[in-house]
This record gives sequence, C-alpha cells and structure tokens, in this order.
Amino acid sequence: MQDPLRFHRKAPPCAVVIYGANGDLTKRKLMPALYRLAYEGRLAPGFAVIGVSRTAMTDDEFRDRMHDSVRKFLEDSPFDEELWQSFAQGLSYIAGDVGDPASYAELGKHLAGISEARKTEDNVLFYLSTQPSQYAEIAEGLAASGLNKGQGWRRIVIEKPFGHDLDSARVLQGRLQKCFNESEIYRIDHYLGKETVQNIMAFRFGNGIFEPLWNRTYIDHVQITAAESIGVEGRGAYYQEAGALRDMIQNHLLQVMATVAMEPASSFTSDAVRDERAKLLRAIRIMRPDQVADNAVAGQYGPGRSGSERVGGFLGEKGVSPDSQTNTYAAVTFLVDNWRWAGVPFYIRTGKALPKRVSEIAIQFRTAPLAMFRKATAGAETVPNMLILRIQPEEGISLKFVSKRPGSGMQLRPVSMDFNYGSSFGERSPSAYETLLLDAISGDATLYTRQDMVEASWTAVQPIMDYWATQKFNFPNYAAGTWGPEAADEMLARWGHTWRKP
Amino acid sequence: MSGQPIKPDKILKELGELWTNMGKEEVAGGDDQSHGGGLLRACAMTLISFVDDEEDPVSLGETLASLMKEHPSRAVVVRVREGEDFLSARVFAQCWMPFGQRRQICCEQVEITATVDCLADVAAIVSPLAVPDLPRVILLRSARVVRSGGIRKILPLGDKIIVDSSRTGAPGFGELGGLLDAGHIAGDLAWTRITEIRSLLAQLLESRKIGTVTVEYDGKEAGPEARYLEAWLETSLPDARVGLKGSGSAGSGKPLMIRVDGDLTVQLMSGCAEVRIGELKQRASLPLGADEELLNAELSIVVHDRVFERVLNQITA
Repeated sequence: MQDPLRFHRKAPPCAVVIYGANGDLTKRKLMPALYRLAYEGRLAPGFAVIGVSRTAMTDDEFRDRMHDSVRKFLEDSPFDEELWQSFAQGLSYIAGDVGDPASYAELGKHLAGISEARKTEDNVLFYLSTQPSQYAEIAEGLAASGLNKGQGWRRIVIEKPFGHDLDSARVLQGRLQKCFNESEIYRIDHYLGKETVQNIMAFRFGNGIFEPLWNRTYIDHVQITAAESIGVEGRGAYYQEAGALRDMIQNHLLQVMATVAMEPASSFTSDAVRDERAKLLRAIRIMRPDQVADNAVAGQYGPGRSGSERVGGFLGEKGVSPDSQTNTYAAVTFLVDNWRWAGVPFYIRTGKALPKRVSEIAIQFRTAPLAMFRKATAGAETVPNMLILRIQPEEGISLKFVSKRPGSGMQLRPVSMDFNYGSSFGERSPSAYETLLLDAISGDATLYTRQDMVEASWTAVQPIMDYWATQKFNFPNYAAGTWGPEAADEMLARWGHTWRKP
Repeated sequence: MSGQPIKPDKILKELGELWTNMGKEEVAGGDDQSHGGGLLRACAMTLISFVDDEEDPVSLGETLASLMKEHPSRAVVVRVREGEDFLSARVFAQCWMPFGQRRQICCEQVEITATVDCLADVAAIVSPLAVPDLPRVILLRSARVVRSGGIRKILPLGDKIIVDSSRTGAPGFGELGGLLDAGHIAGDLAWTRITEIRSLLAQLLESRKIGTVTVEYDGKEAGPEARYLEAWLETSLPDARVGLKGSGSAGSGKPLMIRVDGDLTVQLMSGCAEVRIGELKQRASLPLGADEELLNAELSIVVHDRVFERVLNQITA
C-alpha cells in the first residue's frame, strides 16, 4: 500500500516511555516533537507516551503540564486544541524512583495494559532524559524486571554525554550491553538530526561534481565553527563539569567532521553509513602530550559586551567556582591519517559568549595554480574558493568564487552563489528531535551514534583533556563578545591560515 | 503587442531588460529596508498554465506566487478567451522577501492572452520560452482548451500535464488515460487530494488481514476522489472486497467514510479524520488541500508516478 513518491514516513504502533518526564528536555523538545509528529499524522493512532519521574503527579496533571509546554515551546507550527485532546488520551504518568524495583514492576503492568488498550503491539521505546549517571541504573532496572524484552521490539535512547571520558564511556557501555543489544541502543546526537547536517551527505554523494574535488589535492583546509553568543545562562554548575571540549567537540562537532570527511558508503543504510563515520573518527591522528599545546587552545570568557549590552564573565556565573579552570571555548587542529586527507588540517572551534550564534563548515580550496591575473589585481594573491555549509541560523550553502568586474580591464572581485534552505524549499524543516524520534521508532539508526564511534571520538580528545588537566590556565583569556583567545589565531597562523569571521 | 506578430526573442529580451532594471532599482534603493540586499533570480522549472480568461487574475496570481516559494519557475500564463483571432503578451516579475532576510527572491512571469483559434501560434511562442534543461510542466485549467480539442496542440510543450478532474469542464478519466497511453506524465489534483487519506489507510491496514472495505461518499454519484480511492484500494488489497456506497441524497460525490470489516472506520471531516478501532478512538490531522498545496505536491513529481498510473488504468480498464 505504500507510495514512496508521495507518502511521508509513518511510525509503527508503539509506546514511548520517557524517564525524566518532568525535566527540561521533555518539556522543550521531546513533547513538542511528538505532538508535531502526531499533528502531521506520522504516529500510529494508538500511540502512547508514559512519563516517569520522581515527582508525584496524576495522569491529568501530567497532561496539563505537557499541554502548557507544547503550547509554549512548539516552533513553526499551529497548536490544534482538538488534536491535542486526542493526542493527550495516549499520555499517562508513573511516579517512581529509578532505584526502586517496584517502579519497574508498576511500569510493566502499565505497559501491558496500554499494549492491549491502545494496540501498540508491545513495541516500546525507552527514552532516558535523566542525569547521565542514571542511564546504566535504569537500563539494569528495566532488564531486571524483564522489560528489556517483550512480544514486540524494545529500544533504548540515551542522550549525550556517553561517559565523561574514554574509560567511563566503556564502563557505561559494559553495563548497557548486559541489558540491551547494540542494535537496540540509540545514542542521540541531535546535531546529526539537523537538516543541514543530513544535507552534507546529499550534497557530497548525490552530486557528481563535488566528490572529485573532495580531497587533499584540492582542499586546503576545513574550519568547523559552532559559536554561541550567549554565556552559560545560569547553567554554570553543570557547565563547570563539562566544558566546551566535552560538551560540543567530543560529540557534535566530531560527528559533523566525520560526515564532512567520511568516505562514501556503499549504500544509505544505517550500518554502512555509520561504518564510514566510525572509520573516519578512527583515522584522526591522536596527539602526543607534547603536541597538544600547539594544536589545542582552551579559553574562558571574561567580562565584555554582547552587542551594546555589558555582560559578566564566566567566573561571575552562579554556581561557578571563582578559580574555575573550565573551558568555555575550545579550538583544536585535527589531522586525519588517510589517503584522502593526509596533511589537511581540520580546525574545530566552539565557544560561549562569542560575537554571534552561528554554526558552519567552511571548506577552503587551494588557490589557482597560476596567478595569471596578478597584474590586474595589483599583485594581490588570488582569492581561494570557499564552500560554506551553514548549519544555523540560516541553513544553506554558499560558494565563493571570483568574477570579472564589468568594464574594461580585468579586475576581479569575489562573489557568492547562495542556496538558502528556507527560501528554496517553502516547506517547514522538521526539528532535529522530530527526525530522530521518528527514526528511533521506525528502527532507523543511521543518524544515531554507535559505541565504536563514541569510543573513537573520546580517544581523539582524551590526550587534550589529560594535558589540560595538568595545566594552570590564566583564565579568563578572552572577553565576551570577541572571537576567542589570541592563542587560537596563533594556532592557525602556524599553518599560514586565519579563522574565517562567519 | 496586440495586432502585431509576437516573437519569442522579443519576449526573452524584455525578460532580460526586466532583470537589469530590477537590479538597478535594487542598487538605487540604498538603505531602504526593502532594498540593498540584492535580488536572487530563482528558477527550477517552466510552469505553463492554461486558464480561461474569466478566471480571477488576482486569485491565480496568488496561487502562482505561493508556488514560487517551493518551485521557483519561469511562469507562462496563457489566458484563453472566445472571439476573433487575438494574441498578446507581456512580461513582469513576482518577488518576495523571505521573512528575516534582506534579499528579495524574484521569478519571472509571461502572460499571453489568446483565443482558442490561436493555440497553434501559442505553442510556437511558448516552446522557445521554456528554460533549457529544466522540467516543463503544464497546468491545464482551461475548459475551453479541453472542449476545443486544443489539448493536442499544447501537449508537446510539457513534460508533465496537471489537471484537476473534479473541476467542471476538466478532462475526465478517459482523456487522462489517453495521455498515459501517449507516454505523457500526467497528474490529477483529485488524486493528490486523497494522498493523506491513502497514507493514513496504508498505516492502518498494512499489517491487517482485510475482508471488506467500503468507501462511502456524499451523494448519488461518486466523484473522482472516491473513485480513485476505491481503485487504489482494489489494486493495493487484491484479496479484499472493495466497494463504493453513496449517501443517496444529492451531494458532492466526495468520500466521507471508509469502513473496514466490522471494527475499523475512518471518518473524514474538515481538516481531520477520526479513526475508530474497536473501542479506541483517535483523531488525525488531514490538511484541507488548498490548490497551492496540491500543486506544490504535484510539481515535486516530474517522473512517471507508477501508483497513480496503475490506479488510473484500473479505472479506465
């Protein structure tokens, strides 16, 4: 009955159990995404959500809270009260402590009732939106009560961070895999669900003209930027434990880099694509301790300006220790040891309190081999071509090249050819969580990370973390509202490069 | 241009001048909010619309403008009227400023007014106006063209022909079948209108063993949507007994309810569907399917749609 030319993908019947149902992620992202999927008719008619958290609440109170959250956080979509009433019939709530075996027994009874009443065919997706320290405990609780197996399928989704270093990632995996098979574990990295990140693959492998240029012969270097204009905004206590390197580079940005640099997969299937991403991550050159200082820069913002507004430094944030050594900025030069990329630096930077919110990948091509217009350009160097893949806020792709200025003589000027997602496709792009939830319910793990990818990316950043742990930084070393510490500019200058100002 | 021969080269030159002038205005606009960000000329296809001259130009213009956002095109609108030989043409641009951006996006439009007797001339004018290497799609909304048999003259202009068989005076299943037989790609907005219903039914029925399905419709005679639905169910569920049932009173002929065996019903309402499976009752959103939404969907498909063709063959067999 399927009509692939016309039908949107739909989810099979299932129940989603959200641990941490009273948390921020559930309210801001998960429930609005599920409601939106229901609005688009992507969910099966009997779809059910069971919220679990410690707070005592009735089903109706849970529905009311979720109603308010969806109304507040739903983006680019109308809210349909009648549809909500229908969707809300599938919502229910269980108050319980993740350490209490009785709560799993109660959940099991509840799921059996739902499977019968709402025809969910005993398919269950467990979504852990809790503190990371509870992931293994919940998985073990589910397994001990037999909820990891059933008549239908069982899957478990966990949010990053997957450990706080390589060793803890392995310990977590060891406990998870005793409860669920690897094919049932979905590690969510919401960056991979973004339309533009997915479009990198379409751009590279759906077009014939770019892939021949996508190598060390034609590409000079790659810059990946994820900049936030805001500071930690009250999340100082959490952020103090994480830092920019752990919070962004180890997961999101290394996954983006892997997508930009991986080899073509033999097919667009979950394992084929993830194999290639994993191979790329494993090919990242591991730094020796004596190489870290030249190839990685830590930063922390001090007082400065955000536009016309004066903003305080990280050390002044609530919950932050006055002598905190946490990096709110990190820039790293990665090298990839394979035939395609040998010698091409991949510069990755991310930071809080930078001048603007922007995420992009800039691919700088080598300059033309002969500067035949040097005379006309008064000896100026030929401008290199750049390809910019913009992830946010204005998703799109730009190609910079030079063109002759009209008139006599041969004066060249850089121009830009732009493709903008929003204006080229009038239709709304799904949020990353809509995409990823639908994928998990449909059993498509292509955009989820696998344990070997997690370990490979921890392996790449572990020497930097170890080296930084031995250093006493002179923080703060950049003012809020600037593009990071000078050391980051010097890191690129050593290669003869400069950071692009997005 | 009335009374004078119309040459495609001249229209193309006017289009070129239009862009040059718009670019100059944009530069001259300086710091004005709506100027200074540049123009983006966008084109993904040539869309050739045949409409009767009486059709409200404002409404048609709005529909075409809304299509431009998803399917930027060189739009050629041919307004067909009665009377003695008459042919005229003019060019203009449709621009819009995407929300939150400073750059206008513009698409060009050519409007040709012609009498039915001039359709052969129209074909000779429109053919060179098509943008090379991009799909050419004909939107046929003119009952005059269908009545006069002029459809044969304009078919070579397009890679795909889109009609709406539920409109008065539109080509029927027989003519659509003829298009397929002649190797054309065809689309029918009546078929597009039931996409969401079909998608919902596929989700509900795919894993079930089905005995009987009845498509209930409003009226004494089933309209194209109900007939498409019946034929699609017949081809998709070869082991099931599929039937049509009218409400008996006068009505639109549109589908109202799908009954599956004794325990599953899908009631179609304005903007949504109510699904009942035994005791379980759930509401699903079904977009109303405004013309521009349906056209957007059809313009996205410029290859043979095998499911549609199979269903149309089932009806015309």
